[in-house]
Amino acid sequence: MHRALTLFLFLAVPAAAPAQSGGVVHGTVRSSQGGPIRGAMVGISGSTFYTQTDADGRYRLAPVPPGDVRVRAAAIGYSPQAIVVTVRGADSVTADFALEPSPLELTPLDVVSTKLPRFGDHPVTSVAQVSEQEIDRRAVNTIDEAIDKVPAIQFLNGQINIRGSTGYVQGLNSRVLLLVDGVPMNEGDRGGINWDLVPVDQIERVDILKGAGSSLYGSSALGGVVNLTTRDVPTGVHERVRFTGGVYANPPHPVWEFRDQSGYQGGGDGTWSYGTDEFGASISGGARHSDGYREHDSGNHWQLAGKSRWQPAPKTRVDVSGAWADDKYDAPLSWCTQGQCEDLGQAYQPFKTDTGGRPSWTDSRKGYVAAQARTVVSDRFAWQARGSWYRTDFFDQRRDTSEFGVSNRFGGEIRVEAHPDSSRTVLVGAEGAYSNVTSDIFGDHSQSEFSAYGQSEQALGRARLNAGARIDFLAIDGGSLSAVVSPRLGGSLPLGRNGGALRASVGRGFRAPSLAERFVDLVASEFGLRVVPNPNLRPETAWSFELGGTTAPFLTFMRADAALFWTEARDLIEPTLIVASSGPEIQLQNVAEARIAGLDATLLAAPLSARLKTALSYTYLSTERRAPGSPNGPLAYRPAHQLKLAADYALGPAGVGADFRFASRPESIELEGYVDPRRVPMKVLDFRAQWTHGPFELRLLVANALNYIYNLVPQTLAPVRTTTLTAVWSH
Amino acid sequence: MLELPLRLSGTVFVLAAVVTACDEGLQPQPICGAGFVGVCGTIHFRGTIPDSTDNVFVAAYVTFPQTCNDLIANRQPFIPASVPYTDSAAAYSVTLPPRAYEWVLAVWKKVGTLQLSPADTALLRVAGYYRNPADTTQPGVVTVPSGGAAANIDFIADFAHLRPATDFVTCTAR
Repeated sequence: MHRALTLFLFLAVPAAAPAQSGGVVHGTVRSSQGGPIRGAMVGISGSTFYTQTDADGRYRLAPVPPGDVRVRAAAIGYSPQAIVVTVRGADSVTADFALEPSPLELTPLDVVSTKLPRFGDHPVTSVAQVSEQEIDRRAVNTIDEAIDKVPAIQFLNGQINIRGSTGYVQGLNSRVLLLVDGVPMNEGDRGGINWDLVPVDQIERVDILKGAGSSLYGSSALGGVVNLTTRDVPTGVHERVRFTGGVYANPPHPVWEFRDQSGYQGGGDGTWSYGTDEFGASISGGARHSDGYREHDSGNHWQLAGKSRWQPAPKTRVDVSGAWADDKYDAPLSWCTQGQCEDLGQAYQPFKTDTGGRPSWTDSRKGYVAAQARTVVSDRFAWQARGSWYRTDFFDQRRDTSEFGVSNRFGGEIRVEAHPDSSRTVLVGAEGAYSNVTSDIFGDHSQSEFSAYGQSEQALGRARLNAGARIDFLAIDGGSLSAVVSPRLGGSLPLGRNGGALRASVGRGFRAPSLAERFVDLVASEFGLRVVPNPNLRPETAWSFELGGTTAPFLTFMRADAALFWTEARDLIEPTLIVASSGPEIQLQNVAEARIAGLDATLLAAPLSARLKTALSYTYLSTERRAPGSPNGPLAYRPAHQLKLAADYALGPAGVGADFRFASRPESIELEGYVDPRRVPMKVLDFRAQWTHGPFELRLLVANALNYIYNLVPQTLAPVRTTTLTAVWSH
Repeated sequence: MLELPLRLSGTVFVLAAVVTACDEGLQPQPICGAGFVGVCGTIHFRGTIPDSTDNVFVAAYVTFPQTCNDLIANRQPFIPASVPYTDSAAAYSVTLPPRAYEWVLAVWKKVGTLQLSPADTALLRVAGYYRNPADTTQPGVVTVPSGGAAANIDFIADFAHLRPATDFVTCTAR
């Protein structure tokens, strides 16, 4: 801590020095075919200067020190390009880029794993990106539906697994950290993730770090980090309106039918924005309704979001953003087994729910406000500060009872970024968070977190070495502090000049128990057992290793990326049956150790130039759970094999595509013997098509086109075939 | 020049389609249908359903229980699923490991929370059980074959004659 403070003060010295005057580098980034590229990264390597292009492909870097500078532009799907320009005094210099389409081009930068945008470097751990184009053409309602197509990621009833990190714990925690524009957004009480917090139409890009990221991000980054980047506010006046409508397929077997007519879904949202070079603001709102694809499954969603940017000085930018979402939906949605509903002589009815459990519904409200400021003191030094407030509020109505919970998470962070020379980057920061909850099942409790972190990256010849560590202090209800240290060491080695590279890393991750896990106190009605609190839960920890590599393009149209990974986890928190004086009870305890190892491989191919792009990915998971008093076995809900295929064919303003996802049948589930054990492999094929004409765009999505009936978690039917048409008008 | 990549792309998707076609996902499963391992049959209900009824479930015991503790600790499944009881008869099935069971019975439960302890017997009554066809005064042994079902295990549950556990076992506390 003392060293970190010393380093902070050392780095802060340049901030006090008189600022250099500088010029402006501006221009556009376009495709070589002429169209502007939105969201392209433009920056000066080894410096604090970077930005993204707006909807018209324009960018502006200022104040750039006088002299020759190498400006680089990169965008996913295009070959990067660099231009050397000479900046004289405070003059403006134009640098326009025309990028060649290159469907095999990978993620242009590594934002998530380092908190720093860098060009031309290779990340030391696996990073994936979902671009704006991919989000658009998938015509999804919530962003998790698009992230689900990323290699080695699987969603289990809304709960994200990166390389098998979390399993399924009914939203009670997450071993993946969600960031919105770099701000942590896991719930303050349960630690889970609300994927509909940010309207999907406001999300420009998703960056995903696979593997432990706690050395920079702290708790919850045990299995990975997902960062949602929201759309920047462009200059001028812009509007965007989107309408969606769709229909759910009926059950494929007459004995499963549960309603006389088809189910529908639909909604609409709109965004208005105005911006100048110094200021910009946008506001959006929308709503959608779904009849649901099964019985007792209807839901309504309302949302509001806003964002503003302000550049009070050339070197400083302030961003304020916020969102509010309200969902009211029927729950729970476990399918009924024989006798729980009109079973028509069936052992189970996957489209029907237990009629004895009604009425039951949930009202879930959540919202956040975040503010960030970034000052580029010089080309060698910048600092950034942020503050945020995330609030969640739920009310569950069940047949005989109701539950409620209100939680807040206040967070703040300050970090400095320094480039002492062109071969070295240093990052130092401090972060604090305070979470509280008021609930009839979690009680009134709070948790405080304080942390400090530092990271340095150094070029060693062609290789780059990355080392960092973070220390987190945790306090419950104002009690004594406990500390967790999370180091990481990694390196990357480019292979030739065509983009091939090797990477290796080892790091420690952790996840602090959520307030809900520590203090939950309720009767689990399905088992008739009481769940009792355990305030003494310890953080889960894990060491993660990765060895991977990316090839340069080969056979003129292919490129591959593969990684071997190995995680050894300790103190995993699981529900445990205990015998108390009043009878058996369930308590969450640190009982298990686990190993998760495997292979994450992706093959990209563009056999017909830029028109046809295909991707094939395969993930193999080998897991072992070790706990006292029970035999070793595989971790629950981790399929050993996952296969994903994607293909897109573009022809002028039109395009068609398909996604196929396979996951083998999970060998193990939790509470085996107490829940319906039926489960099958996942085999889902999606088709999509889109057509653009001026400001109009039409998208068609047929999700689960074969109407494959399957479940990922016990007694919960996964979505059936859903045909959705989306119309977008933007100006 | 383009033949190889086109053929490769086509092959990949044909493979995907074949893999998809090989498995039809979840399928309807009639009670006592193929693949079911356990006990199934029909319960015929008699008498008036008590107002305090919470549910009715079917349980099985490998050996006939001797004590109240045996009733709870040796019950299979440990947490049974309920059976519809509002009609005059209901098909039922209970997933059980293959072996012989000395007692298969319908248990009536009154409203209240089970503790999974002998104290639960205060909430539970024996509503009926499968009887030995050769001697209907005695429980019948049911054998679940390996990989199959013991079907047609039919019996009567009488709400008018709900019997406490003490009629069958010794309880030190209720």
